[in-house]
Amino acid sequence: MKVPDVFSYSFSAIKLRKLRAALTTLGVVIGIAAIVALLSITQGLQTTITDQLERGLAADTLIVVPGSNALGGGAGDGGGFGGGIGGGSTSAPLYINYTDEIDALSPDIVTSLAVIQKFGYLQNASNATRQVNSIVGVNFSQYASTYSTTFVAASGSVPLDPSDKDIVVGARVSDPRLNGTLFVQANDDVSLIWTNNTIIPFANETYTAHVSAVLDRIGGFGLAGPSDTGVYVPLSQAERFFGTDEADMIIVKLKSSDATVVNSTSKGITNYFGNEVSVISATAVQSLLTTIFSTISLFLGGIAAISLLVAGIGIMNIMIVSLIERTREIGILKALGMKSRTVLYIFLTESIIIGLIGAVIGVISGWVLANVISLFLGRGGIIGSALTITPILTPEVMLGALGFGVGISVIFALYPAWRASKLKPVEALRYE
Amino acid sequence: MAPVVGAVELKKTYMLGKIPVQALRGVNLKVESGDFLAVLGPSGSGKSTLLNLIGALDKPTAGKLSIDGIDVSTLNDNQLADLRLRIGFVFQFFNLIPRFTAKYNVELSMSILGRNRTEREKRAEELLETVGLKDRINHKPAELSGGQQQRVAIARALANEPRFLLMDEPTGNIDSKTAEEIMNLVKKINEKGVTIIMVTHDQRLASEAKRTVQIIDGVITSDLVN
Repeated sequence: MKVPDVFSYSFSAIKLRKLRAALTTLGVVIGIAAIVALLSITQGLQTTITDQLERGLAADTLIVVPGSNALGGGAGDGGGFGGGIGGGSTSAPLYINYTDEIDALSPDIVTSLAVIQKFGYLQNASNATRQVNSIVGVNFSQYASTYSTTFVAASGSVPLDPSDKDIVVGARVSDPRLNGTLFVQANDDVSLIWTNNTIIPFANETYTAHVSAVLDRIGGFGLAGPSDTGVYVPLSQAERFFGTDEADMIIVKLKSSDATVVNSTSKGITNYFGNEVSVISATAVQSLLTTIFSTISLFLGGIAAISLLVAGIGIMNIMIVSLIERTREIGILKALGMKSRTVLYIFLTESIIIGLIGAVIGVISGWVLANVISLFLGRGGIIGSALTITPILTPEVMLGALGFGVGISVIFALYPAWRASKLKPVEALRYE
Repeated sequence: MAPVVGAVELKKTYMLGKIPVQALRGVNLKVESGDFLAVLGPSGSGKSTLLNLIGALDKPTAGKLSIDGIDVSTLNDNQLADLRLRIGFVFQFFNLIPRFTAKYNVELSMSILGRNRTEREKRAEELLETVGLKDRINHKPAELSGGQQQRVAIARALANEPRFLLMDEPTGNIDSKTAEEIMNLVKKINEKGVTIIMVTHDQRLASEAKRTVQIIDGVITSDLVN
């Protein structure tokens, strides 16, 4: 029997039981749609986060933090990405004046700048208080030259030689809901509040500052670069206010973003400090993110795959019923000279048709589902308007889903098809 | 030329639960090309078993059976299937596939052989015309009478130019007037040179054939030319 004839024969058998075939196909559709939706949302989320990170963590900068395994152990506990990557295992302090030593380490280093970063509060002119995730002490002129595209004033101006009272605030500190209701604006006098937890009892430290600039909106979040939710204080003032000469991180600007330069400089810095610091580069963060996201994808994909497995059992069930119903038909086909092998092909083709139709519809509806979900997530729902996810359907996921759908259908049809092919013609013909 | 069917001391034993039943106890039979043979026997005589063996649906327990010169006992399942392509089956219950039209039912045996579509369609139409169903080509079995269904079955059996037609009570489910028409058709086909082997329990039907063998309790008891 020729392949097109096998196909049309199988198709005629499916058409005979339309509702049954449709329900079986629906099982495959749901499984594939779940896989596609979850994977394309995860993929989209990964791309969004990576993009945002690239903005905050330029490829030609390194971040030095205290502690020996910042990426391994502490990526999460520094107050999320916005708060930086703090908290290694054990740490010798990273002093602010280390920047001089780092600058001298390699000709590939353009400059390095120390950052002090604390959690605090901001009180505006009308005595309303808001929490500020990061009060950041930096050298304004160095910071502005390192992040020349993001440390840019939307109103007021960034003072390159600031007085102690000058501060610069992120766009969302000024306009928290991004709706025009301003909490502070340029030239306001505000109070900065920090709870000193190095003494007992804890005490609130406070001073009156002058908002000299509000930054342009940056979007997303960065690891080290300026953020919409940051309050920037001159480094010397931060040292006095927080009573410390330790940096929370040192940002190192390199001459190039070349991988060999990034890696050799990273190693050089780590070695210089006797492995007591961690050096984070954009590449290292991205590879970590890739690892995290592939684990998430695998996990979510695995859950979705279970539903496809259930669909597979549905296919097997329906094929066995079909085999029993069509016993006599199989007997006729065999009496007419059809080989067992061809009977097997006919049954497998039926499941391939169901699997393929289910997979195609599944990929399409999964894609639609992903877009609908991301629409809801992006609309200030769970993630908030800082982050919009555009689901991404890679050809690998698409073809993989199609292959998986068809594969599952075939695997579960193997047994019924084999049983059909093994029917003895004499007995099959006698079957009522 | 080898006989169409040649059986020597053909035996078939099958198990009915745990009891062995000797359905055929040594059948000797030779059918030459162009013959019209009726195998006559009451139910339980072993005639259905003989039909299954001659139809290459089953293999003998002992003895020798050759179909179209091929020794059946040496064949595997695939080779048996290929052999069945050379045999035209006509069943008592027609055994058409309900979801297909008359035309596609006839095409089906050619499709199994792997013949191409245009050739198939042309021949199916010709054959249906031969059996007198020119205006029923696109009807499904449920829209046809018993006699018409059996004509479709005969057309299907003839589709691959078989070495012989093997008929199992071909008029067993048809009223007597239609049965007569069917038998006339069968005789006409035989006159064109197609060998026919017909299994029946109906004495009157058997008398329409050129030759009648009687089978009782698994052996042939008489072999008469009508």
